[in-house]
Amino acid sequence: MTKQIHLWAFLQGIGHYPSGWRHADATPEAVFSMDYYKSVGQLAERGRFDSIVFGDQLQSRGANGHTPERVAIPTLDPIALLAAMGAVTEHIGLVATVSTTYFEPEAVAERFATLDRITGGRAGWNIVTTAHPASAWNFGQDEMPEKSSRYARAHEFVEAACELWDSAETDGNAVPVQYRGQHITMDATMPGPALPQGRPILVQAGQSPDGRAFAAATAEAIFCPAPTKEDGIAFRNDMHERIAAAGRDPEAVKIMPGLSFILADSEEEAIAKDEAILDLADEALCIEYLGESIGFWLGGHDPKEPIPFDDIVAGTEFPVADITRMLEKPAASGIALGEFASRHVRTPRGHTVFRGTPQQLADRMIDWIDSGACDGFTLQPAYMPGELEIFVDQVVPLLQKAGRLRLDYPGPTLRDTMGIAA
Amino acid sequence: MNRHFILSATIAQPELNNPAWADSVLNGADRAGIDLAVLGAPGSLPFDPMVIAAWAAPMTQRIGLVPCVSTAVAHPFHSARSLSAIDFLSSGRAAWNPIAGAGHDNIVAADMVSAARSLWDGWASDALIIDKESGRYLDGSKVRLSNYEGPHFKVRGPLNAARPLQGHPLLVADASAPFDVAGTDLVILEEGQAALPGSNCLKRAGNSPDLAALVAEFEAGEIAGVHWTLTNPGDDLREIAEFSSALSRFRQARETGSTLRERLGLPLSDNLISEGAFA
Ligand SMILES: Cc1cc2nc3c(=O)[nH]c(=O)nc-3n(C[C@H](O)[C@H](O)[C@H](O)COP(=O)(O)O)c2cc1C
Repeated sequence: MTKQIHLWAFLQGIGHYPSGWRHADATPEAVFSMDYYKSVGQLAERGRFDSIVFGDQLQSRGANGHTPERVAIPTLDPIALLAAMGAVTEHIGLVATVSTTYFEPEAVAERFATLDRITGGRAGWNIVTTAHPASAWNFGQDEMPEKSSRYARAHEFVEAACELWDSAETDGNAVPVQYRGQHITMDATMPGPALPQGRPILVQAGQSPDGRAFAAATAEAIFCPAPTKEDGIAFRNDMHERIAAAGRDPEAVKIMPGLSFILADSEEEAIAKDEAILDLADEALCIEYLGESIGFWLGGHDPKEPIPFDDIVAGTEFPVADITRMLEKPAASGIALGEFASRHVRTPRGHTVFRGTPQQLADRMIDWIDSGACDGFTLQPAYMPGELEIFVDQVVPLLQKAGRLRLDYPGPTLRDTMGIAA
Repeated sequence: MNRHFILSATIAQPELNNPAWADSVLNGADRAGIDLAVLGAPGSLPFDPMVIAAWAAPMTQRIGLVPCVSTAVAHPFHSARSLSAIDFLSSGRAAWNPIAGAGHDNIVAADMVSAARSLWDGWASDALIIDKESGRYLDGSKVRLSNYEGPHFKVRGPLNAARPLQGHPLLVADASAPFDVAGTDLVILEEGQAALPGSNCLKRAGNSPDLAALVAEFEAGEIAGVHWTLTNPGDDLREIAEFSSALSRFRQARETGSTLRERLGLPLSDNLISEGAFA
């Protein structure tokens, strides 16, 4: 059988370009209303997507308080949002990003258990360790624990949550669970019934060696950046090796890289449309946005000068290795700060960006799948809901005609939809 | 405005995890005229009340959604965000009932409330501009740090969620698990407990409550309404619906107003907004 494509809709309310909300077909005010979420949830379900995904931050964006003005976009709590969307949809999965660094396992386990039960088995958990140091200040800490200890806690956290889910009995009897780790101490019970899926689908989105090791040990689906097909193949091969080494079946783990897209009737039109949206973000905004995503205030730097690499590395709030990896190449190329920032904004994590026709996109997706670059895509519409509508109305039928995308949902749970056994 | 006789009910059955059961009971409660559905009870949270409240938001029409929030494992940053989301998704019907977890005293619950309020107040209600033409999304001068430090919680802010539609979701206290914080909107009395002067009290209904006596207490300003605990939802909801129609002359507000605060006549007082509203 030809390989099926898995689709997730990564619905940052405002769209994935910081200027996307200014597009004529964007409805930025709507992202605070239920009507909007009902319509986009039903739209993604009409497109037979596996799941909706919401990311999450535990701080307000704003480059350490310097520049909140245009990047501090408020969002809705992802679990609340997905629970509400679960009430107005029937089949689509509901994947919420929740941090293991700033929650307690019993609370998270209870939250996902309720989400899974009340939606008939559609819950998924994108397990993150939180990257932004400013998050710590919202939880009474001066500093965020460093990355390896965040991942060490994440391992224990997920283990504790899984023990708790596994303890829920269908007959409703609660078995106390005691967990003793280095980072987690938990005494809790999970009153039944058992979750419809047994456990929510476990999703992971970390890139570092620690992150990959964690994903290899726990994840059932992985959200990652893949700027090119070759990057996707390399990442998937690397993960397959790690998953096998961890004693698990690599084919059982779905790799779902991010995909931003701009569609039009011709490639030229799509490029023009993309440029027009990018032009809606002035250079100063792009520099604010870049500063926010590298944890370094760029306000005092001349946009026409090269990227101030040494200053950034010396001053960033993020792990230096991560920032070096991200900026080394562009800095060496001599590109001006303003120009780099203007390109960076649409794909801050290095996700691929597609510009072209619906047919070209369908072909591209099939090619990536058949080349072993991924198992599906986490679609990141540049603006909402217009670009997602175009995808559902024009790309989905092409994928279905090619026999790559389901015509209907196979069963009630997200595990059924993704073909992942409990 | 005429006072509105409030009908409130606790729903704490584990069956609330089941969508068919939850749909029928929550909508049944809505139709019976219940103003507030308290989800969970002190000592009994066999589901996550925030998740149920969020799920119920688009499923119900007018009923106020009152998740119990255990302060044992919740943090104000998370509680404030979840409640903000539920308030938006329900068009202004969110409320909450913080309850101190085992081993925690009521100071923690009061601290949770103060911290959450400081986060909500970090956003002015008109902070968002969202003007496509000028490209201005928000007015940065209307978002500020909370820098809250209480006896138990410390949170800097700002929240990455907007101020709730109602300003603050309604704050409900349960006298059987009390906490002491200014500006509680409603207090659910313990069985047999006398009304607390200066508070809007909900009297627990025993078996076959005496309607005339309750009306007298309401008219004397001693109580704001009645609170049931649903034990047998089918029968209980029928009884409450009868009650509601017998009290119809005190229950005009239910049909008018948009947010729960407006309908119940429980506006947010200015002196509750820390450091006053933004200029
Ligand atoms: C594609 C992708 C999406 C992510 N989304 C989020 C998110 O929504 N919220 C969050 O706190 N972290 C997110 N993260 C970061 C994770 O918290 C991760 O643990 C962090 O990047 C540090 O680990 P790493 O260096 O292994 O990637 C994301 C990471 C990737 C690669």
